[in-house]
Amino acid sequence: MSSALSNRTTGQMPAILGSLVIGIIVLGPVLWAFATSFKTEVEAVVVPPTLWPNSPTLENYTKVLKDAAFFTDLWNSVAYSVGAVIIALLVGIPAGYAAARFSFKGKRALMLVVLATSMVPGVALLVPTYYLLETVGLLNSGIVVTIILSARIIPQTVWFIANFVEAVPVEIEDSAMIDGASRFQIIWALILPLIRPGIAAVATIGIVTTWNDYITVAVFAPEVAKRTLQVALVNQVFDAVGISWSYMMAFVMVASSPVILMFGFVQKWFISGLTAGAVKG
Amino acid sequence: MDADNANRFSWAPFLWFTPAILILFLVTLYPTIFVFWLSFQKTKYYDLVGFNGLANYVEVLSSPEFWDTTVISLSYVAGSLAGAIILGMASALVLNRAGITGSALRVFILFPWTLSMSVVGSIWLWLLNPSFGPIPYVIQKLGIDPGLMLGDPGMALPLLIIVTAWWSFPYVMVMATAAMQSIPKELYEAVEIDGGGAFVKFRYVTLTEILPTLGSTALTLSIMYLTLMTLIIVMTGGGPLGSTTTLSFEAFRGTVQAVNIGPTAVVSIVVLIINVALGALYTRLTGRVTG
Repeated sequence: MSSALSNRTTGQMPAILGSLVIGIIVLGPVLWAFATSFKTEVEAVVVPPTLWPNSPTLENYTKVLKDAAFFTDLWNSVAYSVGAVIIALLVGIPAGYAAARFSFKGKRALMLVVLATSMVPGVALLVPTYYLLETVGLLNSGIVVTIILSARIIPQTVWFIANFVEAVPVEIEDSAMIDGASRFQIIWALILPLIRPGIAAVATIGIVTTWNDYITVAVFAPEVAKRTLQVALVNQVFDAVGISWSYMMAFVMVASSPVILMFGFVQKWFISGLTAGAVKG
Repeated sequence: MDADNANRFSWAPFLWFTPAILILFLVTLYPTIFVFWLSFQKTKYYDLVGFNGLANYVEVLSSPEFWDTTVISLSYVAGSLAGAIILGMASALVLNRAGITGSALRVFILFPWTLSMSVVGSIWLWLLNPSFGPIPYVIQKLGIDPGLMLGDPGMALPLLIIVTAWWSFPYVMVMATAAMQSIPKELYEAVEIDGGGAFVKFRYVTLTEILPTLGSTALTLSIMYLTLMTLIIVMTGGGPLGSTTTLSFEAFRGTVQAVNIGPTAVVSIVVLIINVALGALYTRLTGRVTG
C-alpha cells in the first residue's frame, strides 16, 4: 500500500517539475517586470541583471503618481470603462430579457443583427469611424469613446443576459403578474436579484475588456486630456529616448492594478464564461 | 402569453431592443456600410474627391506590399496558433497529472490573458531589450549572439509570435482542461482493458474527445490574432522594414497617418470579410457568439 502510494508520488514528479516550468513561463515575465519596478533607474540596467532589487525603492511609483497627467489618465480609464459597462447593462438587460421571454416575429432577425455586429472587428471600422467622427466634429469626445467601447461589449452582454434569464423559471413571473406586478417591477425586483451573479460576470469581463483597450481611445480621442493609462503607457514607449525602464515597469503595474486586484473574480468569471457551453462543441 | 404574440406582428417587443440596436447601428453597422462606400471613392488624405469605381481595389490587390502584408498576417496567425495550441495542450496535460501543484498553478495561469496588450508589449520590450534585457543576457551567456532582437527584420516576427503565444496559451489550456474533465472515465478504462498504453489513451481518447473544443478555440484565437494591433504597435511599429506589418496594422497605420483612406478602406474590408467568415464558421460549429 505504502509502496503504491510512493510510486504514485514519484510518478507525479515529472509532471510536478513540468508544472513548475510552466509556472515560470507564465509568471516569470510578470514577476521580472514587478521586480524591475522596485529597482532604481541605475540598477535596472546593470549587467549582469539582478534578479531582485538590492535596495528596493518606491521612487518609481511615487514618480508615476506625481506625474501631472496621471490622475487625468486614471480618471479617463475609470470613466470610460465603468461608463461603457453601465451603458451595456442598461441597453443589454431589456434586450436580453426580451430575447429570453418574448417570442415574436422578427426576433430571429434581431438576434442575427446582434450576432453579426459581434463579428465585425474594430480594426475594420477604424477608417470609416474616424472619417465620420471628424466630419461631424466628434473626435476627442469622452462620451463618444465610452459609447464605442460599450458597443464592443453589448452583443455578449445581450447574449449572456438572455441565457441567465432563460434559466429563471417563467412560473415565478407568472404568479407575480397575477398579483398585479408590472413588467418593470418584475425585472427590477424579481429577475435582477436572481441573475445578480451573471450580471457580475458580464460586468467584470466588460470592465477588463474596456479598461485594457488602447486602439479606440488612441485613435478616436488622441488629445492628451482625453487619453487613458493604456494610451499614456504606449506613448511612453514611443518616447524611447531617455526611457527609464524601472519607471515604465512601475507604470505597467499601476495600469494593470485593477485587473491584478480583481484577478480572483476575473479568472473565476473568465473560466465560467469561456467554457460555458463551449466544451461540447 | 408567448403564443399570443408569436402569431401576429407587434412592435412592442422591438422597443425592448431599440436602445441596444440603436447603439450597435451607430457604432458598428453604419460604419460597416460606410467603409464599403468609402472603398469606391477617390480619396486624397481624408478628402473624398469623387467616385472611383474599383480603382482602390485594383490598386490594393495589385500591389506587392498588400500580398507581403497578407503573407505576414497569415504567418503571424498560423505561428501564434501553433505555439498557443502546443503549449496550451502540453500544459493542460502536465497540470492534469501534477496533483495539488497542478491545481494551485491553474489558479494563476490565466493571468497573462487578463493583461492589456499595451502592458504585455511593454513588459516584453523590456525583457527583450538588446542592451539590458534578461533574455538577450541569457542568450549571450549561452554563447550565442542575441543580435538586435526586435530590431532584426528576421527576428521580429518570430519574437512577436512567441509573445502572442505566451499571452494566449493559458486560454487554450483552460478550454482544453475543461474539455478533458468532461471525458467519461470509462473510455480510458476501456483502453486499459484492451491493453492500450498512455499514447493510445492520448491519441484515441483525449485528442479525439477534445477535438471539437480545440477547433472552436483555434477559430476564436485566429479571429483575435488577425485583428490584433496593439501588441504590434507597441513592440515593433510594423517594422523593422515592414517585417511585422499585418493587414490589421496596415489598417491602423492607414487611419492614423491618413496618406490615402480609399485603399485603407479596402484593406479594412479584407480583414472584415476574413473575420466574418471565421466568425460565421464559429457560430455554425458552436451556436455561440464570439468574444
